[in-house]
Amino acid sequence: MMLEDELTVSTRERDGVAIIDLVGDVTTFAEEKINAAYREVTNDGARFVLLNFRQNDYINSAGIAILIGIVTEVNRNNQKLAVSGLSQHFQKIFRMVGLAQYAEIYQDEEEAIGRFQQAAAE
Amino acid sequence: MSTSLIYSMDLSFPSELGYEVIARDAVSAFARRMGLSAERIEDLKTALSEACINAIEHGNSLRPDLRVTVHCHLEPDRLVIEVVDEGTAEFVVRDNLPTISEKVAGLGPLRGMGLMLISQLCDESSFEPCANGNRMRLAFSR
Repeated sequence: MMLEDELTVSTRERDGVAIIDLVGDVTTFAEEKINAAYREVTNDGARFVLLNFRQNDYINSAGIAILIGIVTEVNRNNQKLAVSGLSQHFQKIFRMVGLAQYAEIYQDEEEAIGRFQQAAAE
Repeated sequence: MSTSLIYSMDLSFPSELGYEVIARDAVSAFARRMGLSAERIEDLKTALSEACINAIEHGNSLRPDLRVTVHCHLEPDRLVIEVVDEGTAEFVVRDNLPTISEKVAGLGPLRGMGLMLISQLCDESSFEPCANGNRMRLAFSR
């Protein structure tokens, strides 16, 4: 029996940014899907990676651990990482655990894409 | 009858990941009725989920035959929640958990943020052994 709101992960490209859309719960059960999506965009040569959340999702400490693992890989691969679509609460949580040091937090996809484009032009 | 008995609720569930979400939803509905603000309820949801995960994974070692019990009651100025496991494993709260920079550098396990989140999100939290397990106590001011 699956008690969680199962995570749907999909990838797309927009203006040179690889977007990983995450819809659902980011918990220990999400590891394989998130890592697979990250590998896919990296194998396709992504330099800028955006994790795009849906406002009302549930992210627990096991999910945060998965995201720290992604940060490790992003650093190793010289990519830039950002997140968007987090609720105010999870923006606070990301700052609390220190993830905000490694991934810029934007309100929405539009803002993140704009900042990535500025970074690419510099 | 005291207020804490009138305004109280108990839940019991097997040690299976996912039940913490059901406990979180039930207790957050209770907290809303008891007058906690929307922001504090979000804090409660994360802290309670982490306390339940701790009980499921560490206290009860993911054994579905062992139960996790959540008791919550209202005190005059705060909501108190107790998460109790059946404590097959002695749980040791470590003082020197790795920082995120150590984790990112591969110098520590990626997991292990739950207790830090609990301590930062609650107005008061404690962890102690009890008769047949461990009890984590969380308090949220109203």
